[in-house]
Amino acid sequence: MENTKQVKSMPEWLKKALGFARDHVYDIFSVAGLVLCVIIFSITSNGRLWSSYNVGIVIEQVTMYVIISLGAVFVYAMGYMDVSLGSQMGVYVLLMIMIVNATGSLLLAFLVILAMALACGAFNGAVAVWLRLPSIVTSLFLMFIFGGIQYLLIESTGSNTISTSLDMDFFTETWVMAGAMVLVGAIVFYLFNFTKLGKYTKGIGANELTTSQCGVNTTKWKVIAYMVFGVCVAVGSVFLLARTGSGGRGTGSGYAMDIMLCLILGGMPLSGGTRSKVRCAVIGSVTYVLLSNGLLLSGVEMNLVNLVKAIVFLVVVVLSCRDNSGYYPR
Amino acid sequence: MAKQAVMEIRGMNKHFGPTVALKDVDLDFYPGEIRGLVGENGSGKSTVTSIMAGMQKATSGEMKYNGEPWKPLSMAWAQEKGVCMILQEANTVAGCTVAENIFAGRLSEFGKFGVINMKKLNAAAQELLDSFGLGRIKASDQIANYTFEDRKLVEIVRCVTEDTVILVVDETTTALSLDGRQILYKLMHSLADRGRTVVFISHDMDEILEQCTTLTVLRDGNIIGTLDEEELAQAKDEEKREKLVEKIRFMMVGRDIGNAYYREDYDTSHLEEVALEFKDVSVGPIKHFSLQLHKGEILGFGGLSDCGMRLIGRAGFGLERLEGGQVVRGGKVIDSPLKAIRSGIGYVSKNRDTEALILSAPIGYNIALPSYDELSRFSFIDPVKENRMVTNEAGKYAVKCKTVRQNVSTLSGGNKQKVSFAKWTAKDSDVLIMDCPTRGVDIGVKQSMYALIAQMKRDGKAIILISEELSELIGMADKIMIMKDGEVTGEFMRSPDLQETDIIGSMI
Ligand SMILES: Nc1ncnc2c1ncn2[C@@H]1O[C@H](COP(=O)(O)OP(=O)(O)OP(=O)(O)O)[C@@H](O)[C@H]1O
Ligand SMILES: [Mg+2]
Repeated sequence: MENTKQVKSMPEWLKKALGFARDHVYDIFSVAGLVLCVIIFSITSNGRLWSSYNVGIVIEQVTMYVIISLGAVFVYAMGYMDVSLGSQMGVYVLLMIMIVNATGSLLLAFLVILAMALACGAFNGAVAVWLRLPSIVTSLFLMFIFGGIQYLLIESTGSNTISTSLDMDFFTETWVMAGAMVLVGAIVFYLFNFTKLGKYTKGIGANELTTSQCGVNTTKWKVIAYMVFGVCVAVGSVFLLARTGSGGRGTGSGYAMDIMLCLILGGMPLSGGTRSKVRCAVIGSVTYVLLSNGLLLSGVEMNLVNLVKAIVFLVVVVLSCRDNSGYYPR
Repeated sequence: MAKQAVMEIRGMNKHFGPTVALKDVDLDFYPGEIRGLVGENGSGKSTVTSIMAGMQKATSGEMKYNGEPWKPLSMAWAQEKGVCMILQEANTVAGCTVAENIFAGRLSEFGKFGVINMKKLNAAAQELLDSFGLGRIKASDQIANYTFEDRKLVEIVRCVTEDTVILVVDETTTALSLDGRQILYKLMHSLADRGRTVVFISHDMDEILEQCTTLTVLRDGNIIGTLDEEELAQAKDEEKREKLVEKIRFMMVGRDIGNAYYREDYDTSHLEEVALEFKDVSVGPIKHFSLQLHKGEILGFGGLSDCGMRLIGRAGFGLERLEGGQVVRGGKVIDSPLKAIRSGIGYVSKNRDTEALILSAPIGYNIALPSYDELSRFSFIDPVKENRMVTNEAGKYAVKCKTVRQNVSTLSGGNKQKVSFAKWTAKDSDVLIMDCPTRGVDIGVKQSMYALIAQMKRDGKAIILISEELSELIGMADKIMIMKDGEVTGEFMRSPDLQETDIIGSMI
């Protein structure tokens, strides 16, 4: 009885605020995480977080993560993931260096890796359906293949790293990076919220059977979703190359998991569905970069950084996988 | 001396965020009664009973069970203490056998050192099934081999034991076919005869009046009133029955909604043009089935479980891999839902929670999903247009919700069904295949759904109506086809003289 009285005597604005909080619990958590990172690392790094040198580094990293996770939104909305991302990017960077060094044309290099990324997208989307495999299996397959290619490429050069002589400073100009993020962000936002691609990828994640019974060619839209992701991976690889200027055996490793962490930190549900939002990619990428950058600046060792990331991952997944809807079959 | 209640509910409230599902509910259940619980969709019937059965917790209020405070920890816990509930939707575990489903949670009784004695388990399960008159279901089979209706029966077998004191039956009959219902009714009465309590939730007035001894009406989370045995007994009397039904309906809705229910006309004419054709179709038990559905025609299909009528609907929508023959519309072969929808066919699936709806998605999204093709212009989907269409559809059936952005999982059973129906009326399909379209929907909305179906006929749309309710078929269809074991055993044309008893003969 007492409970009811409490509920009834609550002021209207508090009720509204609570209602809003309940509806946006994931947004609130992800933004709070971001704010927390900013505050904590501003203090623990003695302000070095905000040195112009460090801000430059943060922006460079954020650019790449944002672009790729924006593409990944489509894949994650379907409840899938792509573990081949890292080795794909490794190969793309190496290939670009080789093509640029041989021909001097960055455009040609980009077109080649774009074609490869699109092919991988189609593979992940279509072959998984044809062979009736979960797409994690095809992307594992791609991961091994590309790992092998990366190895062969680097072996063929006879050295441990290769670098390009081409001047790519253009891509590390702040306005170019910002422009690229805004452009990709705008396109993805449009596709995800205002076209069938976004609507259907969410549906596939939420309930594929129902979605297909609504007349959606799920195979086709899976392929398209993976291909859009491929485009973003190719663009992201260019920015990775511009930042490092070189590539080797380890280039790209770990990116698949990083992107997953970015999205989860941004509040993306691992199971996909209609709760997926484009803003997850943006907020999460910034949080993620600040987290790794801030930890290093605060003097935490590299090994420990990974441990912290692992713990954050676990905590976020446990929190976000709690089902609080409490419904039962009616 | 007044009878002692087995279950007393006092001052129960239940809030879901801003939604108030129950308001200060006081309710008593007595031994030996079959208590009907009626009310519009979303009036709180499932909520109050599920709190009693330990599925969720009340926001406030108290319960007493046999005079002791009752604070159920979980469904399984409550079931052990004798309070059990059969849910509206299917609730069996796929990928297990029938026996494993029946003894789920009690498997350790059949094992030693973690190894389960399957033989013993199957034998015990089969014995139970037989005792319920369900010998045709084999305990060792995979549950997936059985239809929706049979799975529901398996659930009943799982729920009800010797020690059941209170059994809640939440709109289970809509998931059962006629023969299954008889089994359930018999079970309910045998429980009541042994002094147990049955709480029976249904929207079917005839069923309520025939089976229940007492009746409680809910509206918007309030108890409106309870009719005792004496009052309910009036239903046996033809003259008084009419009055009684009127009274109950008034209590439920709060206004007089009249008697008109089904189609009033007996016009069975239709256009010449064929809208959908089954050519020599063979699938499952159905062999060489041919049929022409015309524009402006309502074809009704009825029968017992496993009779194949459900398959006809699925085949018509391209969901079944045919063993022979074709389904054709306008010269095109329909062999996938994609092609079906492209050529203007819609399908309301009976399997609401897994096939027809995306529970974890908003109401609006569910309604708009089949229509995004029409909604998009140059790839752009206008959210304003989408929202207008969706709000309009949800309003048409009075879906009880705060906003259309609410997830479907938060709706009551009947309201979910309205969404699954609205999906296809929003799309404005030319051919509609409806499998139990009014399942669990309250009388007020049923009325408007029937009016809409009648309007569709007048607009020249072609409709296949598959239903367990004979009265619905008699009331709506131009022609009724009764099926048995995959064959059409009876055809009846629409007529004022057609009675249920005429039809039942060809079903069994
Ligand atoms: N998890 C939830 N979140 C929000 N609202 C809910 C939730 N569960 C139930 N409700 C609301 O509570 C109200 C009562 O629902 P309930 O399921 O008890 O209705 P009902 O009488 O069983 O209706 P029906 O005849 O359609 O089955 C409905 O308005 C419903 O939308
Ligand atoms: Mg209900």
